Formats: sequence, structure tokens, C-alpha cells
Amino acid sequence: MSKRYCIFITALFCAFIGVFLVANAVSPDREFSQMENRTLAQLPVPSVKTLVNGSFMSDFETYVTDQFVGRDGWIALKSSTERALGKKENNNVYFCDQDTLITRFDEPDGTKVTNNLNYVNKFVENVDIPVYFSLIPTQACIWADRLPAGAPNADQTAILEQAAGATAAQWYDSYSSLFAHKDEDIFYRTDHHWTSLGAYYGYTALCQAMGLTPVPLEQYDKTTVSESFYGTVFSSSGVRWVRPDRIDTYVPEDGITVVSHTYDAKGNPVEEPRQLYDESYLTVKDQYSMFLGGNQSLGVVTNTNNPDAPKLLIIRDSYADSLVPFLTPHFSEIHLIDLRYYKLSVSEYVQRNGIDEALVLYSVPNFTSDSNLVWLK
Amino acid sequence: MVFSSLYFLFLYLPIVLIAYYITPLKWRNLVLLVFNLIFYAWGEPVYILIMFVSIGIDYTHGMLVDRCKRSGNDRGARMAVASSVIFNLALLFFFKYWDFIAGSLAAVGLNIMPKLGLSLPIGISFYTFQTMSYTIDVYRGDARVQKNIVNFGTFVTLFPQLIAGPIIKYKDLDEQIDFRTHSPEQFASGVQVFVVGLAKKVLLANNLGMLWDAYKALPVEQLTTAGAWLGVAAFSLQLYFDFSGYSDMAVGLGRMLGFEFMRNFDYPYIAKSITEFWRRWHISLGTWFREYMYIPLGGNRVSKPRLFFNLLLVWAATGIWHGASWNFLLWGLYFAALLILEKAFLLKALQKLPALLQHLYTLFLVVVSWAIFAVEDFGHMGGYLKAMFGMAGGGAANDNFLYYLLSYLPMLIISCVACTPLAARLWRRLPERSMRLILPVLLLAGLIFSTAYLVDATYNPFLYFRF
Repeated sequence: MSKRYCIFITALFCAFIGVFLVANAVSPDREFSQMENRTLAQLPVPSVKTLVNGSFMSDFETYVTDQFVGRDGWIALKSSTERALGKKENNNVYFCDQDTLITRFDEPDGTKVTNNLNYVNKFVENVDIPVYFSLIPTQACIWADRLPAGAPNADQTAILEQAAGATAAQWYDSYSSLFAHKDEDIFYRTDHHWTSLGAYYGYTALCQAMGLTPVPLEQYDKTTVSESFYGTVFSSSGVRWVRPDRIDTYVPEDGITVVSHTYDAKGNPVEEPRQLYDESYLTVKDQYSMFLGGNQSLGVVTNTNNPDAPKLLIIRDSYADSLVPFLTPHFSEIHLIDLRYYKLSVSEYVQRNGIDEALVLYSVPNFTSDSNLVWLK
Repeated sequence: MVFSSLYFLFLYLPIVLIAYYITPLKWRNLVLLVFNLIFYAWGEPVYILIMFVSIGIDYTHGMLVDRCKRSGNDRGARMAVASSVIFNLALLFFFKYWDFIAGSLAAVGLNIMPKLGLSLPIGISFYTFQTMSYTIDVYRGDARVQKNIVNFGTFVTLFPQLIAGPIIKYKDLDEQIDFRTHSPEQFASGVQVFVVGLAKKVLLANNLGMLWDAYKALPVEQLTTAGAWLGVAAFSLQLYFDFSGYSDMAVGLGRMLGFEFMRNFDYPYIAKSITEFWRRWHISLGTWFREYMYIPLGGNRVSKPRLFFNLLLVWAATGIWHGASWNFLLWGLYFAALLILEKAFLLKALQKLPALLQHLYTLFLVVVSWAIFAVEDFGHMGGYLKAMFGMAGGGAANDNFLYYLLSYLPMLIISCVACTPLAARLWRRLPERSMRLILPVLLLAGLIFSTAYLVDATYNPFLYFRF
């Protein structure tokens, strides 16, 4: 190799690392990644303490990775390369049949499951109202036939059986009614939630347990509010080649009010009005948040059409947000508590607000990994 | 700081290269020393103090040995060497083996040493060995004394080889530290070796590591025989590409800065005996133990029983060097036994066999050794080995095995080919014209894909934190 050619190779390498040095330095930092649906790390400020314990360095490393120029493009390049190499998963997400992305479900921590079941039992002891309890099996269970052949997949039905056997609450079975309709669009293909249709089948199972007559689906007019929804599984997978999901709603909003209770920066209680369907979320990446406006510590959904109906409390994760519309015809008020944010006594809340019935409803992956059920007291 | 990271590649490295090359020759070692210290302090902000102490003490000892030798005081020189060796071993013992010994004693009911819970300073096993060899070589007359503390500090902390080797002996770098030339030829060849190493680590090793982790995490009851072999085969490939990738990156970075380091790996998996395997695997460690332990113990020129005893000692030390845990000791003794057998008669018998059988013999024993190396817990290790030999009751194979085999098959084939000198041979047979056209494409592809895998890195372990 001639000297000139060696200079060329040297220059090529230096140009490659130099271009990104400069590009990263001049490109503005992003606060939020729409594509990945998460906030990105910002430039950390060093202090003596963080320099000595090394946390500045690790924060800085995350910052460089999060703010790297063309991040979304690099992520797409990696997932496409993985697929070209014959891989059937990327970042714990399986590439499945029918354009479906399914988050891998691994064997959960057994002690955590037992503990969480015990927290529910304690709650049943502490209140004198009926407590209904169910876990929602997810795509990895109901749509297991779409997974790549032989893909490792922990058994969710075993956890359902364990919960049914161990709980002091009134267990009801969501699995059977979902599984019976597994060939319908009961889950999103790119998001971890159930669709409104899936939530409807979950609702019929709950009605049976509560002795209510479910409103037949035919009585509702289906409204398609979005055909461009890419959900959380799409975000974490890095996969960019599947078609988007559709979001439908069924139950009309008339006479329904939603209030979210939070605190301002000074700790004063604040009431923030919300909607059953907040269509402003359809313009951002996280379209599922259109149901009740996304996460909240405590929300109250009031149906002014039937003020004499009972009051329901739901200890919830985000799956409940698309279930609530179907429950509105049967209750005057539906109170929603998210234990990730609500740290006060739930049993006191039940007494103070004259709640008639309670429901504990989580997806299997959320219930088996959540550390906040300790607040259920 | 590790090489396979975005902030190293696109921030630290370009800044070092700019600073280094705009500095006049005279001051380059000082610039390098400062950047070396930043490199180390980045990962070990507190333990940088050990580095300063280590530099100071070994520098002084070198001077002391030299002065004693000059004045004909051999006893004094020996004392100084002993003092340096004791200091370095004490440092290593204190940070690496204290808790291990305390825990082992406590396990047999002797609570005489309190556990300290200190984290292991990264690279301590590498740099204590390097500085130890320095005073020994000055005494032996193999290396000149280094009177300039900046130059000495630059040697000890030289960032390309600081945290994962190769273990560079001072005598090999002696003249390069004081005076080295820089040329586009050397830089360009450094770029090639570096990019090959980066791709080995980021594209091959990290990928195969995920497969190994899946099998390592399985409870023994769920391990099938085929799955256990697939898992440990993935680890064998991961460790080789990770470790040799790191060494390649070190050699490449060294060349970019005008240094020439020794080659650390020479296609170890094509060896035809365990003896040959160890001439090809982690060469710098093997030669270190040979020069500073095996030969001083008498080398080959001793009686058979003494020779076998020496081998046992050297390999016990080699094993435990890899980490403060009993499985590494067992792993070292496993190789001691094999090497003794080969020295006694096996090697001669092997050479009469067809080459294919010699390869299979070596690969089989090496892959089994990695199961001992990779699984620390003896109960789990026993279960894993049982599964490999169909004695764990998990069956021969299952759907999960087929899933993993199929989805990693292209990766496994590429990796196996990359373990052989095939690609390098084909490359050298290309006409120069094609080489000149293809090289930049390959380099850019290596850099671009590695960058993509680093940006979306869910899995990028540093395997040598135990060393």
C-alpha cells in the first residue's frame, strides 16, 4: 500500500469519528423521543460528589447514547440488520406473524407474585365491600400461536391459576372470554394494551362475576379514531417495518365527566378536568393515552345519566383506561387509583367516598413485576 | 472507559488524536499521560490514587535496583526486586483476593478475616503484572532503567492496553516510550486492526453473549443436552471475540499513537492440542507466566515429578489470576492436568492421529473448560456439565433449542469462519487493485454497523471486571 493510500485510509477514519464529534456537539439536544416514547437523558452537570462516585460518568454515557445524531436511524438500521441475520427478536420483542410485535414474557419472580397476591388479600380484609380481582393475559399468551416457532415464552395461565387459588378476593376469569375471541383484533399489534374490543370481552367477564347484564356490542356504533397508531412495543423493538394499528371506540361520551386529582408544586390539591376520549393525544406518538388522558394518580369518572347507580373503585394499570367506557352505564362513579402514584390509604378512601364495590385489575406482566402493590392498604 | 462505547469512539478518541498530533514530539508523552489518567479515572475516579502510588513505587524501585546494580550491590538489588514484587502482589492480593479468602475461611468456620467489600480496581491484574516485570527486567539487565517519571507513568497507564491487556512488558516498549516514529502506514494499519477488533466485540461477541446468557439463566432441569452445548459454544465464541477484539483494538490504537504491541491471540480454536492452544490464546499472559514463574522455577530442565509440580503451580496461578473464585482455580488445574498428560505421553500419541481428530480433541476439551470458567457456582456448574453429557434429565433437545439454533445460525456460521485464518488468507490473495477498492468499503461498513449496535445497545458487557 502506497503512502498516499495510507493517508487516505487514515483520513477516512479520522473523518468518520470527527464528523460525529462535530455533529453531536452542534446538534441541539432533544427532550423527548417520539419514536421511542420516552424522555431522553440530558447533559449532566458535574459536581465533586458525582465525579467521585462516578455517577456523572455513567449519566454522561447515557446522555451521549441518547442524544447521538440520527439515533432513530441507527436504531432502525440495527433492527433491520438483526432481521436480515435471521434473528426473530430484538430488544426482547418477538417479530411475530400477522405483522405483530410481542414483548417476550419471562418467568416472573415467584416471591414478588406471592407478595402481590398477599397485598390484595390484606386489602380484602381491610374493607367491607366486595373486591373483584382478575389478571389480563397478554399477547404472549392469547396470541402464542403467532410467536416464532419454539420461542421461549413463560406460561401466563399458570400465574392465573395461582392467583385464582390464592386470592381472598372474588376472582373472575378474563382469560376464557379473551381466548374465545383470539382471532379478532382484541390486542394492538404494536402496543402492549388490549384494544377497545378486547376490553369489551374483559368487560363481559366482569359483568358475569358482578351479576350485571353486559350491553350488547351491537348497540354501540364503532368509531375509528386513528389508523396511524404505533404503540410502546413498536417503540422498544426498534422494528420499523410493520403497519400501524387502528384505534376504535364504542361507548358514547354523553353525560360522562372525568376529573383527575393531583397536587400542585406546593402540595395543594388540584382538580384537572379530563375526558373519556382525549383526541388531542391522537396527534402525538402515544395515542393510547387518549383513553382518559393517560396516567393519573387518582381519577373519578362520573356518569350524570344514572346518579343512583353504585360507585366502583378500580385499582388499576393502564389496561383499565380502555375498559372504563364500557363500565359507565352500570355505575354512577368510577374511581381509578394508580398505586404507582397514589400512596395514601386506599381503605380509608373507600370509606370516605362511599365506594360500593372494588376491582383489582392488572395485566399479568404488570402484576408480576409491580413493586407498588405494597401501597394497597 | 471502554473502547466499545460511543463516547470513547466519537469523543475521547478524536480529542486524544488531535491533542497528541498537534503537540510537539517532546511533549507527547506528557499529553498521553494526562489522557491515560483521564481514561482510567473515568471508570475509577477514586482508584486513580492506587495508580499514582503504583507509578511512584515502581519508578522508585526501578531506580533503586539500577543504583544497587551499578555499585555492585547485588544483594541490595535483589532486595529491591523482592520489595517491588511483594508490593505489587500485596496490592493485587488486598483488592482482589482478600474478600475471597475471608469468605472461604468463613465458610469453613474460621471468621478471622473481616470482609472488606472493596470493589476491584479495573485492570489491576494487568498493570500490577506489567510493573512487576519492569523491576525484574531491570535487575536481569533485560530492560534499561527509566529515569523520567513522565515516561514511566505513560508506560504504566498507556490507555490502549490499560484495562484488558495485552500484558505488555516494559522491555518490549522500552525504546518506543523514549522515542517512536509515526507514519501514515502505521496509522492506517492501526485503523484496520482497530475496526476489525471493534466489529469482533460489538457485532459478534455481544450478539453471541445474549445466546449464552439465555442458557446460563435457565434452571438446570430445563437444560437439554443440545441446548447446553449450544450455550457453551456461544460462550466460547463470545469470549474469544470479546477478548481478542479488545486486544485488536489495543494493537490498533497503539499503532495510531506510534506503538507496536505484541499479538495476543493467534487463531486459538484451530489448535491441534491443548499445548498448542495455550501458545495461541492470551499469548501475553502465557509468556508472562513462563518468563517470570515457570522458567525461574526451573523450566523444562528439572526432574519429571518436579516439572509436573511446577506446571501445577503455574496453572493454579494462571487460573486464579482470572478471578477470585474457586471455579477459576479449578479451571487452571483442569488445564494443568491436560498439559501434564500431553507432556507425559499424550502429545506424541495425538500426533499420530488424523488432523481432524486432533482438532476435535482440542475443541472438545477447550469448550468443556469454558463451562467451568463461565459458571461460578459449583452446584450450577455441575448441573450444567451433567446436562452437556446428557445426565441432567432435561432430554436431548426441545423447541427452544431449535428456536435459538435457527435464529442464531447465520451468526454462528459467520463466527466459526471468523475463528479461522480463512478470511485473512483470501484477503491476502486478492490483487492489490481490488484490495484498495474493497478496504474502505469494509472499514466504513464495520464502523457504521458497530455504531448502530452501540446506539441501540441493550447488551454490551465488560467481561474482564474480574481479572
